[in-house]
Amino acid sequence: MDALNLIAAVQALQPDAKVREQTDQPTLIVPAHALVALARQLRDDPTLRFDLLETHTAVDWLDEDRFELLYLLASVPLGHHLTLSVSIDRDEPVVPTLCEVYPIAQWLEREVYDMFGILYDNHPDLRRLFLEDDWVGFPLRKDYEDDFMLERPE
Amino acid sequence: MGVITDKLPGVLEPVPGGSVLLTAVDQLINWSRSNSLWPLTFGTSCCAIEVMMATGAARHDLARFGAEVARPSPRQADLLVIAGTIVKRMAPRLRTLYEQMAEPRYVMATGSCAICGGPFMYHSYTTVRGADEIIPVDVYVPGCPPRPEAFFYGLLTLQKMIKEGESIRHPGERRRPVLAALPEGMTLDDIRKEMQDLLSHDANVNMAAAVAEGARYSSELKDF
Ligand code: SF4
Repeated sequence: MDALNLIAAVQALQPDAKVREQTDQPTLIVPAHALVALARQLRDDPTLRFDLLETHTAVDWLDEDRFELLYLLASVPLGHHLTLSVSIDRDEPVVPTLCEVYPIAQWLEREVYDMFGILYDNHPDLRRLFLEDDWVGFPLRKDYEDDFMLERPE
Repeated sequence: MGVITDKLPGVLEPVPGGSVLLTAVDQLINWSRSNSLWPLTFGTSCCAIEVMMATGAARHDLARFGAEVARPSPRQADLLVIAGTIVKRMAPRLRTLYEQMAEPRYVMATGSCAICGGPFMYHSYTTVRGADEIIPVDVYVPGCPPRPEAFFYGLLTLQKMIKEGESIRHPGERRRPVLAALPEGMTLDDIRKEMQDLLSHDANVNMAAAVAEGARYSSELKDF
């Protein structure tokens, strides 16, 4: 399915989803509470069949005081791609987990938790993935600092 | 090998002409060591693609220098090529690998990351700023990533160092080889001028404009 049809089809499922302009891959901004239901519909709908969560990552928009969570979905049988973008409050970074829809999300969400400290509601095993268990802080947050880091000299 | 290097000096030294023979044996050993450097397959990021794959493949062909027998076990390798970023969690493993290698062992640090942390030097929570913070390094090959030619230059340098350096009497001693010096009476400015002449004559480059552009670019960089 091409990008325009894809966006129309997804918006029919979830009218709250807004299109982000000027992206390489069709991108929809969805509210956090609608995420899991929408993902399940995307996976099960016979014309969409998004059966693969390619990757999941986050962006820390420090000045706008929000985290943007990105879910890159793909359909192997139909060969199309879609990005879902969810924005959440930086002070209260809680979002429902996608584990029940895509089991791979367990690992991806653990990584994002490790780096950004996003808390996934209902995640079965939310522990650090790469860093030591006693690590303090979340290093990919823009305001992260520790003694090891070097500042670039002016 | 162990028998030769341990026993030979004691046997030969007292014999008349023994030291000369010993030097000859040294040369033979160093020659064979330098031409059969077996690298350890150890790559941690992008440089590994360059160093392990491009140099080993047909176009550049590491086998020409006798260093193509990549070993997956440190116990069989002589040369540790640090190709890639070393992070805090990798550091103890790198140390272990180095310690597991048999003497004589050589270390090459290829790429800015292995030399100083490279592009991740600042604002990184985990990148070790230079592999030589963990293990001693013999040869540094700069680049991000280095070209295979640069890697070979480093390898040849290491071979030179082995040939000039160690002897049975003083195992483990390393001597830095003299690499390259500018010929007498020549300065960097001369070379620069020669390059500019070449560019303007042979490649039709408008040198004046190019220099002005370069100056503008570097001043912009400063503002940035
Ligand atoms: S020096 Fe450059 S190419 Fe090599 S590992 Fe570092 S970032 Fe990658």
